Amino acid sequence: MRRITMAQYLLSVHTVEGEAREPMTEEEMRQFMERVGVLEEEIKSAGAWVFSGRLHEADTATVVRVSNSEVLTTDGPFAESKEHLGGFYIIEAEDLDAALSWAAKTADCVKRPIEVRPFWQAPGA
Amino acid sequence: VHDVDAPPKIDEAEVGRIFREESGRSVAALIRIFGDIDVAEDAVQEAFAVALRKWPGVGLPPNPGGWITTTARNRAIDRLRRESRGRELLSEVAVLSPGNDDPGAPEKEGPVQDDRLRLIFTCCHPALSMEAQVALTLRLLGGLSTKEVARSFLVTEPAMAQRLARAKRKIKAARIPYRVPEEHGLPERLRPCWPSSTSSTMPGSPAQPTQISARRRSGSHGSSRRSCPTSQRWPACSPCCS
Repeated sequence: MRRITMAQYLLSVHTVEGEAREPMTEEEMRQFMERVGVLEEEIKSAGAWVFSGRLHEADTATVVRVSNSEVLTTDGPFAESKEHLGGFYIIEAEDLDAALSWAAKTADCVKRPIEVRPFWQAPGA
Repeated sequence: VHDVDAPPKIDEAEVGRIFREESGRSVAALIRIFGDIDVAEDAVQEAFAVALRKWPGVGLPPNPGGWITTTARNRAIDRLRRESRGRELLSEVAVLSPGNDDPGAPEKEGPVQDDRLRLIFTCCHPALSMEAQVALTLRLLGGLSTKEVARSFLVTEPAMAQRLARAKRKIKAARIPYRVPEEHGLPERLRPCWPSSTSSTMPGSPAQPTQISARRRSGSHGSSRRSCPTSQRWPACSPCCS
């Protein structure tokens, strides 16, 4: 094994704007939170956990731009796209295969596709 | 009357034939040593350039493939020593593979020990697009030039160069591993792996454009498993090689 250092990956869940999704019942929500709890415990005990977060809807976003030293604040998300980042995990893994196996567990848990993206690392870091 | 001990006549075509047969093995061995595809490719190219100058005069070495790998490895070390990032890479190599002086000796790990087989699994990783998988395999293991690969895909050479560069960048950035999957993971990984051989490619015979474009249109995965991209028969790959 050449590489002994770990790499960090962003595992992200995207929500689609306006997508009709049945709201979860209380029981479904309880089960969902339980599944997520089990998964997060597994990631932590494997030493792969770095950080995670769940975001409010994209329409709660505000964009700040600076042009000619003037600050311009606008309502709404930055991206025009219909898909928005809904939540994410940042994990540490030896290589992509290890990251993909966490992604598969996460996708199974949240019933959503997971995008896996490597963090940029400074050369020699 | 020829002297029986005279070296056989080596011309450019003969070196080209050896390149197509041996470059995949050398590239794979150097990727194992240096952990960097570009370093490996450049060094093997350089070694063949040396061979082109040298062999016609002195004849073939007893083991041309081994000669290429050793020459390429030495060239790569020389080049890396001249660059600061290269020196870092070299110290990493020295730390992690102590005493591994024989570039022909594969690392002992996984169910199958063969550098080329590992490289196939890297090139055919499902995180790469089908097209990138086929193109990379033809380039790195089949010894085809970027121009030849481009011709197989009916695209321009710069377009293909860009695709290959992007795929290699992803392998590096996302750390697509250079190893044969564990036995339990093999069946799953063989599915995306073997369609890359739909073009029935042998070293030196670029895929027929019609075959690749037909596959791209249908988008079929694993429907045809006729031959290995390197024309080798791997013991672990019975789905394609038996």
